Amino acid sequence: MSETKTYKLPIGPVHVGLKEPITAWLDIEGEHIKDAVIRPGAIHRGVEFMARERNPIQVIYLAERVCGICSFSHAIAFVKAVEDAAQIEVPIRAQYIRSMVLELERIHSHILWSGVACYTIGFDSAFHLGMMLREKVMDVLEALSGNRVNYAVTTVGGVRWDVTPAVERTVMDMIHYYRNEFASFYEAAINDPVVRARLRDVGVLTTEQAIKYCALGPTSRGSGVRADVRWSAPYDAYCDIHVEPVVPQDYTGEVHGDVYDRFLVRVYEVLQSLDILEKIMEGLPEGPITFEPKVNKLLTVLKKAEGVGYGCIEAPRGDDTHAVGLKAQQENVQWWKVRAPTYSNAVSWPLMFKDNELADAPLIINSIDPCISCMERMVLSDTSSGTKSVVTKADLLKLCREKTDKTRRLMRA
Amino acid sequence: MLDPMDCFIDREKVVKTPQELADHLQGVFGDDLSYVDLRDFSEGSSGEVTSHHLWMTIGKSRLLDFVDELGKFDFPNFHVVSGDDEGDHISLYYHFDLYRAVERGVSLHVTVCVHVPKDDLTVDSLFSRIPGVEYSEREIQEMFGVDHIGLPNKALVFLPDDWNREVFPWRRDETAPGEDLVEDLS
Repeated sequence: MSETKTYKLPIGPVHVGLKEPITAWLDIEGEHIKDAVIRPGAIHRGVEFMARERNPIQVIYLAERVCGICSFSHAIAFVKAVEDAAQIEVPIRAQYIRSMVLELERIHSHILWSGVACYTIGFDSAFHLGMMLREKVMDVLEALSGNRVNYAVTTVGGVRWDVTPAVERTVMDMIHYYRNEFASFYEAAINDPVVRARLRDVGVLTTEQAIKYCALGPTSRGSGVRADVRWSAPYDAYCDIHVEPVVPQDYTGEVHGDVYDRFLVRVYEVLQSLDILEKIMEGLPEGPITFEPKVNKLLTVLKKAEGVGYGCIEAPRGDDTHAVGLKAQQENVQWWKVRAPTYSNAVSWPLMFKDNELADAPLIINSIDPCISCMERMVLSDTSSGTKSVVTKADLLKLCREKTDKTRRLMRA
Repeated sequence: MLDPMDCFIDREKVVKTPQELADHLQGVFGDDLSYVDLRDFSEGSSGEVTSHHLWMTIGKSRLLDFVDELGKFDFPNFHVVSGDDEGDHISLYYHFDLYRAVERGVSLHVTVCVHVPKDDLTVDSLFSRIPGVEYSEREIQEMFGVDHIGLPNKALVFLPDDWNREVFPWRRDETAPGEDLVEDLS
C-alpha cells in the first residue's frame, strides 16, 4: 500500500481589490484539497493611515483608488459615512444619480466576472463575448464622467456631474442593447452542459456557513441567503425602487451554494440592474445635484463636524462598509476604516476549498470575485523531501482547463 | 441548551422596532450602557424615515453578553471593527446588522463601542459566537495592539511577517510608526 502524503501548496499572492494580494496555503492529498489557510497582506497600502493627513474631500480620491472595479462604491460608502457624521442631507436628484452609477458599475463588474469565469474553465469564446458586451457600459460611464475607471462623480453632499439629455439617451440605448444582446452570452454560458458540469457542486458554501461566516453579496446570495442592502436597508433611489434579492431558489428551485449558483446570481443581477436603471431614468427628479457646490464652503461645514459616521452600500461584491471619525476644528479626517466586501468573503474561502480538487482552486478563488490581477505564480513544496518547485499561473490555468476538456470528453463518451 | 448564536435559516427571528430594541437593551444592561443614540435616515422622495442606526457604548466586560443579547433576536451579521486611539484608551466600534435577511426596509445597523484602557489592552473575542470576525479582530490586534481573548489564530493578517511587533500603525502614542516608517511621496 502506498503511503499518503499531504503537501502544502501556496497559491498567490492574489490581488483582491483593496489592499491584499492573498496567499492561499492549501493542504493537498493527491489532487484533493484537505484544508486551506489564507494569508493576506503582501502589499498593504495603508490607505486608512494616509487618510489622517487629508481632509474629507481629498480622501474621496483615496477612496476611489481603493479598488479599480468598484471605485464608485468605495467613494459612495465613504461620503455616506462623512454625511452621517456631519449630518448633511443629499438632494434627491443626486441620490438618483448615485444609484444610477452604482448600477452601471454593478453591470460592468458582473459582466467582467462572468467573462473571466468562462476564461478560467477554458470557454474562451464566451469570455470574448463577455468582454465585448462590457464595452457598452464602459462607454456610458465615459459619456457621463469622461473616465472609465475612476469616475470622480461623487462628492460630499451630492454629485459633481449631472445627467444631461445626451447621457440619458446613452443609458437608454445601453439598456436596449443589453436586453437584446446579453442573452446570447449568458444562455451560451449557463445552458452549456460542460459549464454546468464544471461549476456545479464546486466550492460549496452552505446557507448556514454563509450566515455564520458573514459572507456578503452574490457570495451569500449564491448560498441562498436572501440578503441585499438595497432591499433590507434601502438608501438613495432604492427607497423608491423595490429591489428583490436575487437568490438561486427563485430561479432554479434549489440551492447548491456552489460556483454555478454564484454565476447564476450575477447573471440575473445584470438583468435586474437594467430594470432598476430604467426606473431610475424614468423617475429622475429635477433639482440641485449638490448640497454645497463651493468646495471651500463645504470644507468649512465639515470642519465644524464632530462624531463618528457610518456608510454601508451594496457594492457589486457585497456590502461595502466605511466608518469615519471627524473632529471639530480639525480639517483632516481623524480616522477612517474601509471594509471592502472581499475582506469578509475571503473568510469563507477555506470552507469552499475543503474537499475540492486542485484544478478547481482557480475557479473557487474566482467565484467570490476578487481582482486576481496579481496572481502570478505558486510554489509547490514537498515537506518530506524539502524540495520546492515553482508552478506558474499558466500551469495552474492549464490544469483547470484540462479538467474541463476531460469533463467534455467524458460527457461525449 | 440552544446555541445562542445558532443561525439556522428557519429559526424564527424576533423582529422589534429600533426603539423597542434600544429600550430592551437599556433595560438589560442599565448603567453598563453609557451612550445610546438612535439615528433615523430619510432618503428617496417619500420623505419618510427609511432606515435606522442604533449606536451604543458598553462596558468592556459586557461585550459578549451584549452580542448574546442581540443573538436572541437574530444572528448579528458582523461588518467590521473600526476604532481610534483616544489617549488613555482605544475606542473600538463593532458594526453589526440585525434582521438582514428578514424583509424590505427592516434591517437595523447596530454599532457598539467599547473603551479599552491602555493599561489593560484586552477584550473578549467574538469568534466563539461569530466566526466571521476573525480577520477584523486580527487586524485590530496588529494595528492597535489589543489582545482578543479566545481568538484561536492570532497571526498577522495584513502586516508583513518581518514587521516590528512593537509598532502599531493606528496608535497615536509612542508605539505609533516613527518618521523612518513613513515615506512622503508628494
